[in-house]
Amino acid sequence: MGDWIKTFKQGLSIENPLTVLMIGLCATLAVSTQVQGALFMGLAVIFVLTMSNAIISAFRKLIPNEVRIPIFIVIIASFVTIVDLTMKAFMPGIYQFLGIWIPLIVVNCAILGRAEAFAYHNKVGLAIADGLGMGVGYWIVIVALAFIRELLGTGKIVMFDATLIGLPSGYAPPGLVLLFPGAFFIFGFMIAITRALGERAEKRRKAVTS
Amino acid sequence: MSTVGQLALLFIGAALINNILLTRFIGLCPFFGVSGNFETSLGMSLAVVFVMTLASTSTWVVWTFLLEPLGVGEFLYIPAFILIIASLVQFVEMYMRKVSPVLYRAMGIYLPLITTNCAVLATATEAAKPGFFKMNIDLGASLGLGEALIYTLGVSAGFGFALISFAALRERLDIAPVPKVMKGNPMAFITAGLLSLAYVGIAGWFGL
Repeated sequence: MGDWIKTFKQGLSIENPLTVLMIGLCATLAVSTQVQGALFMGLAVIFVLTMSNAIISAFRKLIPNEVRIPIFIVIIASFVTIVDLTMKAFMPGIYQFLGIWIPLIVVNCAILGRAEAFAYHNKVGLAIADGLGMGVGYWIVIVALAFIRELLGTGKIVMFDATLIGLPSGYAPPGLVLLFPGAFFIFGFMIAITRALGERAEKRRKAVTS
Repeated sequence: MSTVGQLALLFIGAALINNILLTRFIGLCPFFGVSGNFETSLGMSLAVVFVMTLASTSTWVVWTFLLEPLGVGEFLYIPAFILIIASLVQFVEMYMRKVSPVLYRAMGIYLPLITTNCAVLATATEAAKPGFFKMNIDLGASLGLGEALIYTLGVSAGFGFALISFAALRERLDIAPVPKVMKGNPMAFITAGLLSLAYVGIAGWFGL
């Protein structure tokens, strides 16, 4: 049980797929113009990551080493197809916004990376914990980035046609934030801030122990 | 779309004006992963051009002669296309190691990485069934094999061009006086943002 919690926490902090490992960036930067879309993108990734980790881990003794990558990819692709068709049927609006990025979860390096680095060598319970941890870590970063971009870029956060937070009406939103370069700038500053915070925590820990 | 002029426009539009890396965020992992070094980025770009062209050709054939006539494309295209790409990459790697060690040393180690490059899957899908992804250019209802090839070449050339120029920028950044917290990846993102700003500036030229 303790191992599971430890594995889960690693995905959130020191092995966060986005801010630390820097994998699976494409979709993150592209869909983070809208909190609502980012929320569902994150959920889709959590589902695919956890399920594929569980299945790959369950069959790890049967999958031959030489052809493991194609097998992993087919397993992942099946779960992505499930998400793709479900979203298309029940949430057409969000599906349209996410568009290309749902099928492209197949090649999200975060998922294949976890299958290769973790699920293939660990027991099912641990693999599920790792999938959940990595997925939630991904989800937190993508939603945070979308929150900043939507708030600064449009002046308000809209979810399911209701305005949750609005900046004062005198605020003139800079369009750059919603454009592609804005995503790069904001994400760059986000990594710098998380890194600075991490270094400060490290320093404090050292000061306490010494 | 058939005359030489239109094909040339298709190429330029796919490569520069709607560059998939810097205006669509497709294929960012290698963009940050291998751009630390100029030589590596050159090898990666070559490998991408090579694999993408092969992948598009095969997905086009499979889609046109197998998936669409059978009416199963809608729900089988993701597993089918990714399996084609994964096995293709594996075959190319084995073949290259046997036949041309020089070529293998230049781009062999990047081949496994390419399987998970979203640019390859996205372009191969777009070339096989245009308009589905609405990726960068309006390609009309369907493409001939020749047009699909030109489109793929354009996209991959644009990918390579952006990757190589970014790698050259990053090599100079290494010796630049950057604040300590911004060193490395954060600064790379800011640079990518500036580069992307330049590409956004030419979006929409020639009505593309």
